[in-house]
Amino acid sequence: MQGLLQAILNGLVAGSILTLPAMGFSAIFAVLRYPSFAVGALASFGAYAGWVANHQWGWSAQAALPVAFVVAAAVGTLAEWVAIRPLEKSGTLMMAVASLALSFLLENILRFGFGNDLRGFDLPLLRDMTWGPLRMGPQQIKNMLLALGVMLAVWAFLRLSNTGRAMRAVADNPDLARLRGIHPARVAMITVAMGSGLAGIGGMLLGLDTSIDPMTGTRLMLSIFAAAVLGGLGSIPGAVAGALVIGVVEELTVYAISPAYRTPVGFLVILLVLSWRPSGLFARRAEA
Amino acid sequence: MLNYAIFVFTIAGIYAVLAQSLMLSWGMGGIVNLGLAGFFAIGAYASAMATKWGGIPLPLGILLAMLAASLAGLVVTFSTLRLRDDYLAIITLGFSEVLRIVANNEIALTGGSDGISGITGGVSRAGGISYALAWLGFVSLAALACFLAVRRLAASPWGRALRAVRDDQVVAAVAGKPVTRLKAQAFALSTAMAGLAGALFGHFGSYVAPDMFQPLITIYIFLAVTLGGNGRPAGAVLGAYVLVVFLELTRFTTERVGGISPLQGAALREITIALVLLVLMRLRPQGLLPERNQKAFPADGPNPGKPP
Amino acid sequence: MSLHRRLLLSRGLTLGAGLALSPWAGAQTGPIKLGTLTPLTGAGGPYGPVMVTTVKAVIDEVNAAGGVLGRQIMLVSEDDQTNPEAGVRAARKLIDVDKVTAIMGTWASAVTTAVAPLCWESRTFLATVSGADSITALPHLGYLVRTQPNTTLQGRKFGEFAIEQGAKKVFFLTPQTPFAQSQLASMKVAVEKAGGKVDSLIYDDKKPSLRTEVDTALRGTPDMIVLGGYTPDTTVLLKDLFRANYKGKLLGFGYSVNQKLIEALPGEVSEGIFTLSPSSDSGSAAYKRVADITKSASPDPYSCQIYDHVSLIILAMADAKAASGDAIKDHVRRVAQGGGEKVESAVAGLKLLAAGRKIDYAGASGPCDFTDIGDISDSKFRYEQVKGGKLALLKVA
Repeated sequence: MQGLLQAILNGLVAGSILTLPAMGFSAIFAVLRYPSFAVGALASFGAYAGWVANHQWGWSAQAALPVAFVVAAAVGTLAEWVAIRPLEKSGTLMMAVASLALSFLLENILRFGFGNDLRGFDLPLLRDMTWGPLRMGPQQIKNMLLALGVMLAVWAFLRLSNTGRAMRAVADNPDLARLRGIHPARVAMITVAMGSGLAGIGGMLLGLDTSIDPMTGTRLMLSIFAAAVLGGLGSIPGAVAGALVIGVVEELTVYAISPAYRTPVGFLVILLVLSWRPSGLFARRAEA
Repeated sequence: MLNYAIFVFTIAGIYAVLAQSLMLSWGMGGIVNLGLAGFFAIGAYASAMATKWGGIPLPLGILLAMLAASLAGLVVTFSTLRLRDDYLAIITLGFSEVLRIVANNEIALTGGSDGISGITGGVSRAGGISYALAWLGFVSLAALACFLAVRRLAASPWGRALRAVRDDQVVAAVAGKPVTRLKAQAFALSTAMAGLAGALFGHFGSYVAPDMFQPLITIYIFLAVTLGGNGRPAGAVLGAYVLVVFLELTRFTTERVGGISPLQGAALREITIALVLLVLMRLRPQGLLPERNQKAFPADGPNPGKPP
Repeated sequence: MSLHRRLLLSRGLTLGAGLALSPWAGAQTGPIKLGTLTPLTGAGGPYGPVMVTTVKAVIDEVNAAGGVLGRQIMLVSEDDQTNPEAGVRAARKLIDVDKVTAIMGTWASAVTTAVAPLCWESRTFLATVSGADSITALPHLGYLVRTQPNTTLQGRKFGEFAIEQGAKKVFFLTPQTPFAQSQLASMKVAVEKAGGKVDSLIYDDKKPSLRTEVDTALRGTPDMIVLGGYTPDTTVLLKDLFRANYKGKLLGFGYSVNQKLIEALPGEVSEGIFTLSPSSDSGSAAYKRVADITKSASPDPYSCQIYDHVSLIILAMADAKAASGDAIKDHVRRVAQGGGEKVESAVAGLKLLAAGRKIDYAGASGPCDFTDIGDISDSKFRYEQVKGGKLALLKVA
C-alpha cells in the first residue's frame, strides 16, 4: 500500500516538472492557436541562462530564476516575431511546422555555444524528508509550490489585469476582441513572452532536478505536448492537470507493470482519457 | 562520388514515397500523421522479419509490409474516431514512440536495440555499383508509381471528396460525403505507402533497428512536404528530393567554415538546415509547387461548346 | 655523345617516366585521409567531440614527425547524430567522396551495425568502440576491429568486484542497451557463484525522474547498485538515489561516471562511487598521453580507445607500406600483437618500423591484441573511486 502511495507521490513530483512548460505551451495555443513545438528548446534556454547566472555570476537559485524567465521570454518573443508571425496567414499547421524547425535551431545554438557536456548547478542536493514510509524531497516540494504559485499568478494575471483579460478575449474570439479595440498582435506577443518565460523557468527547475545539456528541454517535448493535450489544448489549469496525471500514471506503471514501458502505458492512458473526453480533461468550451 | 550521388538519390526516393504518404493523409485528407515514423518502421520490420526469418521472397515481403502498415493505420483510425484532429496528432505521435520502445524491449520478437541485420537486398550486395544502380532504379520506380497513383487519386472524385472533407468536415458530411470512410481509406492508403518506404529502406540498407525510426524522420518529412507544397503530389516529391540533397549539401558547406570545432561544425550544420527551412517557409509559404485551384467550370461557362 | 646531350636525354627520360607514372604518383603523394564517425549531436553527444579531439592530436603529432609513407594525414570528421540512418549517409560520404582509408570511433551499436556493411563492401577499415556482441559476429571479412571488451567479460568483472567489496545483494539498473542482458547474465553467474544475489530493472533513459525505479530497486535493500546507463540518465539516477537516502555502494562504467558527470553533480552525491573501465597497464605512457590531450586526469574510455584506433591504423599502414583498407586489415595484427618491441605511440612505432623492427603496440585502452573476429582477446580493467570530486585509481587488474 505504501509503495502505491509513494508511487503516486513520485508521480506528482515528476508531473510537476512538466507543469510549467506545459502551461507555456497551452497559453500559446490558447491565444495564437498553434502548438508551439519550440517550447522544449525554450526550456533549455532558460536552464542555461539560470546556470550562467548561478555558475558564472555566483547568484543563488532564487536570483537565477528570473534570469531564466527573462532570457527565455526574450528568445521566444524574438523567434516568434521573426519566424512564426509572418506565417500567420498560412495557417496554424504551418506555424506548427515552423516551430519544429525553430526547435532545431534553438537547440543547436545552445550546442554551438555550450557544447554537449553536462552542466550542473552549484547547489547542494538534499536528501528526502520522510514521514513514516513515505518520502518527498524538500526541493521537489519547493518546485511544486513554485509551480502552484506561478499557476496562481498566471490565473490572477488572466482574471484581474487588463492585459490578461485582453489575452482571454483574444483567446475566446479574436474578431470580437479586435472590435473592442484590443490589438491581437500585441496580445499575441505578450502571450508568447509569458509562455516562453514559463517554459524557461520550467527548464531551470528541470536543470536543478537533473542536469543541463542542449537536449534538456527538447527531450521532454513529447511529454509536454501530451500533458497539454490531455488537459485540453489551450487550458492552462488543464495543462497542470495533464502534467500531474501523466506523472502519476507513469510512476504507477513503473510500480505495478514495468519500468521499461512507462511511456507506452502513459500514451495508452491518454488515448483512453481522450476517447472518453475528446477535448481533454478541461475542455475550453463545449466542442461540437 | 558517383556512388555517393546514387546513394543520396536512392534515399531521397524513399523519402519521396514517405512524403507522398504524408501528402495523401495531411495535404489531401487533413489528417496530421505525426506517427509517420511508426508506420515506416512497421513496413521495415514486417518485410525484414518475413524475408529473413520466414524465408519469403522479397516482392512478397514488400507487399506484406504495405499490408501490415495499412492494417495498423486502420487500427489507429478506428481507435481515434471520436478525436478531433489536433488530438489525433498526439495519438499518432504516441503510437510511433510506443512502437519504437516495444521494438527496443521485445528482444525475442524484434532483435531489440540490436535490430535485424543481414536483410536480403534482392540482388547481391557484392555487386558494388550495380547493386547501387539497381536499387536507385527500383526505388525511383516505386516513387514514380506512388506519384502516378496519388496524382490519379487526387484528380478523381474520391480525391475531390477527400479534399472537401479536409476543408470542412461538417459541410462535407451535410453534403452527403461518407466522412469517416473517406478518412479511413485515405489513412490506410497513406500508411500502406509508408510501409512500402519502410520495406525499401530495410532491404536497401540490409539492417533495421529501433533507433532508425525516431520522430526526427517524421519531422524531416513534414518539413519536406511543407517545403515542396502540401497540396500536390509533385510538391511532396520535389520537397523530399530537395530536402535530402540539401541535408547532404550542408556537410560540404560547413566543412569550409574555419576556426570552429567539429562539434560546432555539426551544430552549425543543423542551424543552417533549420534557418534555410524557416527562410523558405517565410518566402514561399505555399511551397515550391502550390496547390492548383480546382476550377468549378472551365473558362467559357458551365456548358462549354454549347450555345449559351 | 656530348655531355650536354646526355644530360638532355637523361632529363627527358626522367620527365617521360614521371609523366607516364604521374596519375599513380599523384595518388601516392596526396594526403592520406582518415575519417571519424562519432556522435556530435543526439544522445551520444557527450562523447563524440572529445573523441575527435583525441584523434586530431595524434594525427597532428604524426604529421609533425613527417607523416606516414612520406605523406601527411588528413582527418575528415562526420557526425552520425546517434542515428543509424544519418550514420549511413555520413559513412557513404566519407567512403565515396572523401575516400577515407579507415573510419574510426563509431559509438552507438546500431550505427556500427548499419555502417559496417558499407565498410567491408568498399574495403574500408572500421574501428569501433561499440559494445554489442553481435557486431563482431557480422561477416566483416576482417575489416572491423573493436576495442571495447566483450560484455560477458565486463559483466563478470562487475560481479567479481561487487563480491570483492563485500556485497551480498546486487541490483543492476540499466536502460535497454544491446548489451544489458548479456552483462546481467555474466554478472549473475559471478555473483551467485560466491553466494550472492542479483536483481535488475530496465528503465527508460529519457525520463527526468526515476524515483519509483529507485524505490523498486531499494525494496530489496541491496548493498551494491550497478549502473548501466550513460551520463545524462546516470545523473538523474544518482540524484534520485541520493534523495532516497541510499547509503550502500555504487558501481558504474567509467564512460558513465566520468569527470564531466562528477563535475555536474554535488560532491556528496558522487563521493565514493566505484568505476570500472577497460584499461592498459598502470603506468601506461599511452594512457598518460590521452590524459594530456583531453586535459583530464581520468580520460574517458572512449577517448583512450579511439587513440588506439588511430595509432594502430597509422602503424598498420606503415608496416604494409600502403594506405588502403586491405593493407590495414592485413597488417593491424602484425603491429598490435605477436611479440616485438613494445610501443605506446604512433610516432615511436613509426620510427621502429622505419628501422625494420617488429613492434607490439600496447595502447591507452589495453594491450590491443585482437582475435580473428576483431574482438580484443584480453583486457585489464582499472578500478577507480570518486574521492573529493576526482577519480582516484584503486587498482589495475
